[in-house]
Amino acid sequence: MALATVDRLSFSYPGRAPALRDVSLELRQGEMVAVLGPSGSGKSTLVRALAGLVPHFHGGRFEGRVEVDGMDTRRVRPSDLAGVVATVFQDPEDQVVFGRVEDEVAFGLENVGTAPHEIAERARQALAVLGSEHLLGRRVAELSAGELQRVCLASSLALEPQLLLLDEPTSQLDPETADALLRLACGLGVTVVLSEQRPAGPLEVCDRVLFLEEGRVILDARRDEAIRWLARHRPAYLPHEPAVTSTSTTGPIVCRLDGVSFGYRGGPPVLVDAGLELRRGEVVALAGPNGSGKTTLAKVAGGLLQSGRGTVDRRGRAVYLSQDPGRYLVRERVDEEVALAVGGDVSRAAPALAAVGLSGFESRHPRDLSSGERERLALASVLVTEPDLLILDEPTRGVDPERKDELARLLRAQAAQRATLVVTHDLVFAAEVADRTISLGATEPVYV
Amino acid sequence: MRPGPAAVLFAALGATALLAERWITVAAIAAVLLAACLAAPAGRRRFLYLAGASITALSVFLLTPFVETIGSHPLWTGPTIPVVGTLDVTKEELAGGAVAALRLLSVSLAFAAYALLLDHDRLLRSVRAGRRSALAVVLATRLVPTLERDAAGLIEALRGRGVAVAGARGHARLLSPLLAGSLERAYNLAESMESRGYGRPGATRALRPPWAARDWLALVAAAALVTGGVLWL
Repeated sequence: MALATVDRLSFSYPGRAPALRDVSLELRQGEMVAVLGPSGSGKSTLVRALAGLVPHFHGGRFEGRVEVDGMDTRRVRPSDLAGVVATVFQDPEDQVVFGRVEDEVAFGLENVGTAPHEIAERARQALAVLGSEHLLGRRVAELSAGELQRVCLASSLALEPQLLLLDEPTSQLDPETADALLRLACGLGVTVVLSEQRPAGPLEVCDRVLFLEEGRVILDARRDEAIRWLARHRPAYLPHEPAVTSTSTTGPIVCRLDGVSFGYRGGPPVLVDAGLELRRGEVVALAGPNGSGKTTLAKVAGGLLQSGRGTVDRRGRAVYLSQDPGRYLVRERVDEEVALAVGGDVSRAAPALAAVGLSGFESRHPRDLSSGERERLALASVLVTEPDLLILDEPTRGVDPERKDELARLLRAQAAQRATLVVTHDLVFAAEVADRTISLGATEPVYV
Repeated sequence: MRPGPAAVLFAALGATALLAERWITVAAIAAVLLAACLAAPAGRRRFLYLAGASITALSVFLLTPFVETIGSHPLWTGPTIPVVGTLDVTKEELAGGAVAALRLLSVSLAFAAYALLLDHDRLLRSVRAGRRSALAVVLATRLVPTLERDAAGLIEALRGRGVAVAGARGHARLLSPLLAGSLERAYNLAESMESRGYGRPGATRALRPPWAARDWLALVAAAALVTGGVLWL
């Protein structure tokens, strides 16, 4: 029996091209559906339509019909669907209401009118299902990205929904944590719709795959059939051997860290006696679980953090790409944003934008871009400087597999011009792009 | 301890510091509050609060002798200034300035302890009436630290591109993107809240565990402090 039905749904956000075009599908009880597709293909919009947020929250032009558990989403507000539907969004920090874990998990339960004496126990159970009961009593601000994502998931699970919508829930997690989260979601026994840019995990655990492109569902198939289709039509979405053979390099040293230690004020040491050597012409990947010190090491290498001990020898211009593309939205136009780092010389923006596939976006407002497009804009904003040392912190977050392959090719093609350090959770990308990979350990001090 | 009784206790300490007549009482309250503040996790914020309280109190101590004209034991006599009169510093003025500075220090430290040690979410959630207003205040109190973090992130990203942010003008240019980012964050949060049922009629509240003995003790101590401050201290 269908839990949710989408019938000939077309939707456009106000003043924009259609985000969904004539989408029809049914979701059955207990199935896990992976939604794949390039950035801007309509995955998040489909998730929001199933939650009733489209059109109620976002406005826009809505045609067709979406029914969830017999309720027409045009007639029922998203808040009234809460309990039947629960949504976990991409950025956990934008979902948190309260400062304590138990208050956060209880928030939805209170809203849907759960009996007061049941709330604390259901919140505890939801955390326990995710193996996160120990987080009770903790402050949200002190949680790691993985812990915070689990709290967001627990907040949804506590509502005991029939339909769980996950919009890129693993984008900030290391592979182990992401896999664990997906397996947990898979074992819940509820209908799960999972939109993802990292398809490997979802393809292992899902029952069915939807592939969206330009707002249309171009594939709706069971998992095995979908994998065959992807192999034929979208091979980038399947695990594959690295396309680039690593090369040894003997270029001059661009950056050398020796015996570097660093700790944030009031916290334990993050780096202890760490060393790193980056040579012109090589691409080095820095991998490791959340909290292992990757970003800190990269920032020390890029000169954004000053180490307490040790030496940092850097030659030439270093640039650092933050893992939050929201930090590259300072100007009013895309080309001005890119040109900011080259003294406002807009003529240099076009080639940089072309290199990341954003030709034609010059006059757009940066905030009008999708998350994947923002990531590429941020990349263009640092590439335009033609640096001697390029440091990219999680450059594939929110980027679809085909764009990821393009990014790997771009970095390889430009490798000879500089030393490149890529901080990434994405081991497939690391294998594809890097000459060598450095893995940092978790929780322990870092000895590279 | 629950934040409600703790807030009442800090308020009582501040009020007693204003009411008490003996300087030793005021000094003791300041010392207790200073110890409480130092128990907060180390960080820039603790330093800011303590520095703010100390500088304000020191200013009062230094200025009081020049604005008061009391005492008969001059320690220093300065020039005569039209309208203001002869500048002098007496032993009594210094003593008065020290007590006033201690009072101000105590009140400032009471606020600092409130800000540094209490869970403001919990405090607001303990208000049974006006759920929506309390939630609005909870979210508003997070605005400043969030903006601080966003500003630091923007500056770091600009530095990462080799763009220096210097001077008032450079920082002022960040206001527009900060505001836009803040609005976007608020929009995302509102979407998340609505999807979690916010605004639906019939909302309930989780039961809170009953007050512990130390919560009641804090209330009794607060009442005793204020009464003692008025009558004996």
